[in-house]
Amino acid sequence: MRTKIVLLLGALIIVFSYLTIVSATKAFRSTNELPTTLSEMEDSIRLVLITQELDTPFWNKVGYGAKQQAKEESVELEVWGSYGNNEDDFLKKMEIAIHSKVDGIIVQGLDTEEFKNLTKIKAAFYGIPVITVANDVPVEESLRKTYVGSDQFGAGQMVASQLVKEMGTSGEVIILRDDVQAFYQEERLAGIQDVLEGYSEIDITIRGTVDTNEQVISTTQQLMNEVPRATAFIAINANYAGPMIQEIGRRTQVEPYHIYTFDDGVESTTLLEQGKLDGVLEQKPEEMGQESVKWLMEWVSGKTVPLNSDGYLTETNMLISDGDQR
Amino acid sequence: MTTIQRKIWLLVSVMLLIMGIIWMMLTYYNQQTQEQTNTILQRYLRLNEVTIASQKMITDLNNYLLDPTEVHKVQIEKSIKTIEEVQQDVVKLRNEENAFSVTNYIHLIDSLVETTNRSILFSEEQELEGSKNEFNEANRISMYISEMTLTILDRELKTYNLFYREIIDQSEELKKLGIWILLLVTAVLLLATYWFSLSITKPVHQLTKAANELAKGRFNQKIKVESNDEIAFLAQTFDEMRLNINDLILEIQQKAQLEHELQQSKLLLKESQLKSLQSQINPHFLFNTLNTLSKKAYLDGAEETSDLLVSVAGLLRYNLKRIDRSVTLYEEVLVLYQYMEIQKARFNDRLHFETNIDESCLHVNIPGLTLQPIIENAVIHAIEPEEDGGTISFRILRDGSWIIMEIEDSGKGISQENIELLLNGQMDSNEGHSTGIGFQNVVKRLQLFYGVDHLVSIESVEGIGTKVIIQIPETREEVSDETINRR
Repeated sequence: MRTKIVLLLGALIIVFSYLTIVSATKAFRSTNELPTTLSEMEDSIRLVLITQELDTPFWNKVGYGAKQQAKEESVELEVWGSYGNNEDDFLKKMEIAIHSKVDGIIVQGLDTEEFKNLTKIKAAFYGIPVITVANDVPVEESLRKTYVGSDQFGAGQMVASQLVKEMGTSGEVIILRDDVQAFYQEERLAGIQDVLEGYSEIDITIRGTVDTNEQVISTTQQLMNEVPRATAFIAINANYAGPMIQEIGRRTQVEPYHIYTFDDGVESTTLLEQGKLDGVLEQKPEEMGQESVKWLMEWVSGKTVPLNSDGYLTETNMLISDGDQR
Repeated sequence: MTTIQRKIWLLVSVMLLIMGIIWMMLTYYNQQTQEQTNTILQRYLRLNEVTIASQKMITDLNNYLLDPTEVHKVQIEKSIKTIEEVQQDVVKLRNEENAFSVTNYIHLIDSLVETTNRSILFSEEQELEGSKNEFNEANRISMYISEMTLTILDRELKTYNLFYREIIDQSEELKKLGIWILLLVTAVLLLATYWFSLSITKPVHQLTKAANELAKGRFNQKIKVESNDEIAFLAQTFDEMRLNINDLILEIQQKAQLEHELQQSKLLLKESQLKSLQSQINPHFLFNTLNTLSKKAYLDGAEETSDLLVSVAGLLRYNLKRIDRSVTLYEEVLVLYQYMEIQKARFNDRLHFETNIDESCLHVNIPGLTLQPIIENAVIHAIEPEEDGGTISFRILRDGSWIIMEIEDSGKGISQENIELLLNGQMDSNEGHSTGIGFQNVVKRLQLFYGVDHLVSIESVEGIGTKVIIQIPETREEVSDETINRR
């Protein structure tokens, strides 16, 4: 009886000790360290990349390149922006960046008065350098330090040349652009016109539209009614390529048409892969990101002052649909 | 010696210690967790303060712009001060995760303050347009601050998400731990109490058993208790008591024995006195008659007869007087000679009596009529039955502090069994003794007189003779002497 009691208690003690130890190790396991507090204002350089089109493949690449470069230069960089061309939000982000007194702003150029006001007056007032990336705004209007991105005029030329190469020297070309043209669109258009004007047999119809899918579709409809013999389409705003093709596809075969656009649209790459686009002008978004940070840092650290206000151009080349080549 | 009290103290203090340690650990841990949560809460509160302060500032600014009085000026200055203080607090919130946003945030506050100051400045210079613009901007910045507060809070929640979950998990685990510890301590306590109570009750049981044994009268079993506390002490004392009782019982037994012996000696004395009374029908008459006969024989010329009668008379007188008191060995030897004189007259040539006496031993005290009964025995057994007679030798020697008396005869001897019987007092034959005192009587009286056993020994070879050896100490202890005299 006695030994039984002692054995029972001993067994209980062993079991309970084990459970206690297991429980204790769980309970007293050191918690995840909280992020270390930075007590002093260790002011590292803060840069902001602001775009209107967050989470598009093109701008993701720009952001990626910029972040890579920022890491290399050991400066802090955040990508801000608005989704789906929300201009108000975009401008707000700009304003916040300026009021936050960041050390530099890399921004997708927006050809509006408000934007220009912000860069020209506010940013200048706080002494914040602004670099445009991918889409430029003329220096006189924006007081940007420089531009990093493709030569849009050259890009337009390239697209037009490709068009001529495929379509031949005669035909009717419809060019879809924004109602209110941004600077980079003007450049592109100028590039295209520059080439196409050399061929007298090529007629160009240029039409602006508002930035909604319905509008793009209805504009395309009108255009196709007005110019039924059109053989080629160029969407200067790459985002319009999608609805445009959709509308064309609704009416007739997409295949026979020569459709071109640029790669900064949401659907550009997909459409090209599907063979609906005949060609896309490819830019180097990652390079743009890297270069922009690099040049901004050159300016901030005072290595290169002033920066070349003409801009630092990145490569462009033409991507042609495999399907069309058959 | 560990006392029971100390044991209890030890048990209780160890338990208290364990509980104290557990309590302290848990308290400490709780405190730490609380501090952590407090820190986090404070972060949120500070961020919230910024929003409140910035909104207040905008309100104050608006009030001032509408009604630029000194009161409002003071108010706006106060709120600027507040927001700057809050800004200082916010600086502390920066960590690796949110450095960028918080730095932006701090600068936003700066911008807000600057814009506000500009607005005030414009207002003072009566440039209403400018002041209005700046106010609008300040309002916007304040809005941005509110938004950014939310963004930062959101990010904080994300950053600390894991951490919060862990705190929750740990507090859950802590509950379980509490239960386990409680059970563990309970089990340990039970075991300890069990052993502890056993260490007290077991010796008590042993003691009870021992007490029962004693109560049943078994005093020989040693009381043994395996313990080292008061019970052991009690058991030891108990054991000593047992020993003492044992000793006392032995003593009582010895005393009873002594009492018994005393009784016996008294009886012996009585017996011999009775016998002597019986023989004293008219001892004085007999004594006088003998003396008269002696004188008559002498007058008649029978001198030998006369001497014989004198001897008989002396023997008789000695016999009458000396039975219950000590005499010197010298007197005893004298009586012995007188007796032998009588026996010689009886046996003539058949009796050869040889003596060898160390004169220096004769002063020793000895109970009366010690030697005569033994010589008489020798005469009865060695001379009377032999037609050719025999020899009796009597020797007194000294052996250290002992006086040795030997009476040797040349009779048939006694068998060993008879010797044993004789010495143990199981065989007695008083018949034929002139003094009525037998061998037994002598042995016992010697024993009582000296208080020592085995003073008398008998050596015998059958067919050759018997030797009775009496040894007595030269000096007798005073006490026993007195005891004897008193009797």
